[in-house]
Amino acid sequence: MIRTENLTKVYNGKTAVDGLDLEVGEGEIFGFLGPNGAGKSTTILMLTGMIEPTGGRCLVDGIEVAKDPLKVKEIIGYLPEDVGFYGNMTGEQNLDYFARFYGMDAKERKERIAELLELVHLDGVVQKAGEYSRGMKQRLGLAQALINDPKVLFLDEPTANLDPEGVREYRELVEHLAGEGKTIFVSSHILSEVRVVCRTVGLLAKGKLVAQGTLEEVARALAPSDGDAVRIVIETREHLPAIDDPAILSVEGNANRAVVRAKADIRDRLSAALFEQGLHVREMRLEEPEIEDVFMAAYRR
Amino acid sequence: MALDRLFNVARKEFSDHITSKRFIIILGLFLVISAIGMHSGIENYNTMLESYSLQLQHMQDLEGPYVGWMPEKPSIMLVFSSMMSYMTMLGGILAIAIGFDLVSKEKETRSLKSLLSHPVYRDEVINGKALGGIGALGFAMALALAIALAMLLLFSIVPTVDEFAAVLVFGVVTLGFLLAYFAIALMMSTVAKESGNALIYTLVIFFAVSSLLPMFGMMAANAFAGDPPEPPQMPRMPQEIVRTASSGGYSTTSVSQSVVYGGTEDPEWKAYEEEMKTYIEKRRLISDISSLLSPQSNYQTIAIAVTQPQIFSMMQSPYDTAPEETTGLAGALGKVWMNIAALIVFPSAFFAATYVKFMRMDIR
Repeated sequence: MIRTENLTKVYNGKTAVDGLDLEVGEGEIFGFLGPNGAGKSTTILMLTGMIEPTGGRCLVDGIEVAKDPLKVKEIIGYLPEDVGFYGNMTGEQNLDYFARFYGMDAKERKERIAELLELVHLDGVVQKAGEYSRGMKQRLGLAQALINDPKVLFLDEPTANLDPEGVREYRELVEHLAGEGKTIFVSSHILSEVRVVCRTVGLLAKGKLVAQGTLEEVARALAPSDGDAVRIVIETREHLPAIDDPAILSVEGNANRAVVRAKADIRDRLSAALFEQGLHVREMRLEEPEIEDVFMAAYRR
Repeated sequence: MALDRLFNVARKEFSDHITSKRFIIILGLFLVISAIGMHSGIENYNTMLESYSLQLQHMQDLEGPYVGWMPEKPSIMLVFSSMMSYMTMLGGILAIAIGFDLVSKEKETRSLKSLLSHPVYRDEVINGKALGGIGALGFAMALALAIALAMLLLFSIVPTVDEFAAVLVFGVVTLGFLLAYFAIALMMSTVAKESGNALIYTLVIFFAVSSLLPMFGMMAANAFAGDPPEPPQMPRMPQEIVRTASSGGYSTTSVSQSVVYGGTEDPEWKAYEEEMKTYIEKRRLISDISSLLSPQSNYQTIAIAVTQPQIFSMMQSPYDTAPEETTGLAGALGKVWMNIAALIVFPSAFFAATYVKFMRMDIR
């Protein structure tokens, strides 16, 4: 549904997006991760036809964005970061103004706007958009992104201004939209947020795609390499004796706790050996790097 | 460019303008002041009309060489000339008030990004904004003219078809003048990141073209034309004809000399007169060229040609003792075609620059 080929954007000699190759399938909830300034928003601006790429191309539903931006805009919805509205108009008037660009008649517009305002819990709000809180603006932003019932939804830092209740509602809404078969592209620098809603992720750093896949795949790809060795954490109630097994490469530990580096997962053999010696095993697990730590390390690269 | 999208933007902009407090306050002030001006203009017109009737009666009673001479009936366009001065100041402010934050405010509130994420081309947005602003200024102008005409009718003054046409032309010319400042404001709004800066830049240009430019024009004219010719050192008996005419905010004085010595024209004085004529023409050429860059000067020149053609004729030929015969509205407009062209080119140039800048603007 979304594809970029060697997508590049250079601003005043500085490369913001550098040869990005990305593919997001239909119906996916894709998390576009990366630290601030990594080039996420620039990529979205190119994908939504707001700016033209310096090099390469991007396609949405098979349509090349730079060649036919209007056709792309007809099938996408975009919630920009720090979304803005016309402060002298109500939320309903703002949505009506945008809806007119899709050739919707008055009845169609009225029904769609009522439906969306209810969806984002802004129905019955009569104040002007200029008086909205940031959270209300964000919710109205979601409504305006959905005005044309888009096939693809681009959300740039969607939870940035939401309170915890708003975040929960946003997650439900994304799930609901994904259930309708929409492709959702969520850009964020908050891993915990992407982790909750997205099924696949891409990690961008300094304009380049570092990894893409499921969260686990990306974490594994980014984890520091330790050859084929596995690390097993053991904790017993009693003092740990010397552990002897041909697969063991090294043991680090003290008293009743140790980290065993082995050629393979030998937890079954280890637990049997400890049990034979009459020891009570409190914990035995494979040590995997924390996803947050892996991503943080990738951010800092 | 699709018209429905263009009109959607224009409709919203027009509605924003005419419902904004800023527009309503300035327009209200403008209408009240021009209505007061119109009222005093109507009183002057009535006084002139009474004087004309008296003169007419007096001429009918006279016999002899003056029988062929008839006083000229005052035109109601004199009343409209009083609007000109208010237009140059308050109208200019109204045009600036409409345009100075049209784009910059959208950048500040980030609504431009939201707007452009929907299926609308940038040229449709900027053209729609311009169209909405022109519509609002046209609405203000139409309202001012409607009030003026209503006041005339209230005082039982019914314009002739020619006068009505002249009023319409005056309205169109005034709208052209307002568009000049609207175009500057729109351009600055596109260039500047913040509305405050856009307003300052616009006001700087406003004062530069309305005050500094004519001043520099005069200085350039003085520098280019050099010193005026010296009069001949001999006794003279000049027959001086001084004609002064004034209207709301604009006055002109022309001096004509004809020297008679010993019953015949003196050749030295005649030569001096020719030199002086050339000198003044030269100065006026420089001054006129610089004036073409000033919307105010162009507007005043055209407005005078439309509302006070006789004064305009005197301004055009200050050395002629007898002004040219008035040639009607079309003739008057024909004489100021350069000013009309300048008044069209000026906003067009700024609109074009705005268009280019907006199309290339970085939306981040």
